[in-house]
Amino acid sequence: MQWFVIFKKELLENWRNLKWIWVPIVFILFAVMDPITTYYLPKIMDAVGGVPEGSIIDLPMPNAQEAMMMSYGELGMLGVLLTVVIVMSTISGEIKSGVYEMILSKPVKFTNYVSAKFLSIMLIIIISLALAIGTAWYYVMILFGTIDFTRILMSLFFFTLYFALIVSIVIMVNTWIQSPGLVAFISLALIIIFNVLTNIYGHILTWSPALISDYIGEYLASGVLISELWYAALMAFVFSIVCLQFAIVTLRNRVLH
Amino acid sequence: MEINRDLILLLLPIIILQLILLSIAIIDLIRNEQTNGPKWIWALVIILINIVGPIIYLIFGRRP
Amino acid sequence: MELLHANQLTKKYKENSVIQDVSFTLEHGRCVALLGPNGSGKTTTLRMLAGFIKPTEGTIAFNDESLSRDFRQHVGYLPQFPVFYDWMTGKEFLVYSGQLAHLSKSEARKRADELLELVNLKEVRKLRISKYSGGMKQRLGIAQALIHSPKLIILDEPASALDPIGRREVLNLMRELKKDSTILFSTHILNDAEEVSDEILLLNNGNVIEQGSMHELESVQNTVTLKLAFSDEPKFIEERLKEIESVFKVHRVQDDFLLTVHDLQTARKQLLEVVHNEDWQLTKFEVAKTSLEDLFMKAVKE
Repeated sequence: MQWFVIFKKELLENWRNLKWIWVPIVFILFAVMDPITTYYLPKIMDAVGGVPEGSIIDLPMPNAQEAMMMSYGELGMLGVLLTVVIVMSTISGEIKSGVYEMILSKPVKFTNYVSAKFLSIMLIIIISLALAIGTAWYYVMILFGTIDFTRILMSLFFFTLYFALIVSIVIMVNTWIQSPGLVAFISLALIIIFNVLTNIYGHILTWSPALISDYIGEYLASGVLISELWYAALMAFVFSIVCLQFAIVTLRNRVLH
Repeated sequence: MEINRDLILLLLPIIILQLILLSIAIIDLIRNEQTNGPKWIWALVIILINIVGPIIYLIFGRRP
Repeated sequence: MELLHANQLTKKYKENSVIQDVSFTLEHGRCVALLGPNGSGKTTTLRMLAGFIKPTEGTIAFNDESLSRDFRQHVGYLPQFPVFYDWMTGKEFLVYSGQLAHLSKSEARKRADELLELVNLKEVRKLRISKYSGGMKQRLGIAQALIHSPKLIILDEPASALDPIGRREVLNLMRELKKDSTILFSTHILNDAEEVSDEILLLNNGNVIEQGSMHELESVQNTVTLKLAFSDEPKFIEERLKEIESVFKVHRVQDDFLLTVHDLQTARKQLLEVVHNEDWQLTKFEVAKTSLEDLFMKAVKE
């Protein structure tokens, strides 16, 4: 089956260029960075002795949920940035180098081409996020306190949908421009605009996927899955499909020079 | 002293991951014939800048 | 037997026509050269025939109706600058492109092995493509075009960018291939077209200006050129030669006289008669073949 052939080729490529190793590691490092430094900061400051005699530093220790949210926060920033960077050349790079022409001369369906690329990237992202959140959870449990495994699992599920949207946006932009750097720039601009709009009109756009990580925070604290989270996740899913469909249509109508 | 030992034990997995990242970047640098920019600069970046160096190399240093 | 017919193909980018009303027919089993200067629309024509860009107007119809829908399945295409996944080995790439063309993995492997043998890349099949030379890449490109046993093989400037050795390898390979397949290839190098093609399509400024076999194209010209030289040059030789009935043009290039004649038989007889009667010391008498170059220059200038 053609779809599976392309999918396997993408997996092999990401294995050979070592993405399968370094992307999960970097996600893990992003996720554990904040909880660990927060926990040890007061102790480190004590040890270094940089605090003037008599002054009392009173850094409130976050609770387990808050510590966990730090991980989500970092992944939502740096993780998204890294995702944009690893997806920025998946199609644009092939068009730019010319290998795309070779592939196109075979009876390749654009739907297969785009969706196989999407899912192969999502597989790396899902595994990286799972390892990152899992490791962060482990440290939070040791340093801060317990959180339900179900809550972690559910939040991971919603977070993955948010990343699916990010990947879809970058894939869509990939079909517009040939320069990977510009693809990254425009994708980030779109994501930022999306987030800013959500911040401004947050009271209306309660279904915005940009709110997913806020909702995850509330859920981790309360354990209650509010309906807005489901709707935001649904929107992320729908928008992903729309972006991918756009990418397919753009490629189909693309003029080759 | 107690705190330091605990700290090191706790951070051990992280340190190992960091070392894997570092060695992957170095292996890739050696294996690749061409990089974006001089190799020795990338070697310095990877070794001297903690965590961020290898990441930057893996993203920007390799030729597509 | 007719393989496909291109009818009034036109391709416009924005308002500019790259190709204007190009019509031609490809016969089964022929090797056709698409000849034209750079920028004459060769690549665009080939890409339309390869099925991955659509003509703005006009149609491409295969004789077999069932092929016409997505005919990429039945066409093998080598781009002008073939680029591969450098991280793959030669064999991996062939298997991959075979599978993209709906071969099963075992079929693709078997076919890849055959082709690696054919294009003489067997020894380097396990080497990463990034290590391949230009000629090796070109041959790999030809192999990937053949992987799904297409009915038509389209090669865009297959030999133009190669060094003499690489060029020779590719031309030999093409001569091998044309025994049992239909080939359409573009080139701006006349020698290449002359060497391997049965038929020539001359393209200029997005139009087909001539089509036919080498032989037909020559007879269109309807003239033959003779080359003569004399050791002891007689006086007024140019004038004297012009007086001969069947010679209608005399042109001097250094010590050689180039005579344009209509009918070779009569001209030869008359000429030799004069030479004999006048006792001219003839040192060279050559029937120069009409070269494709003359034809090309003539057609392009018109």
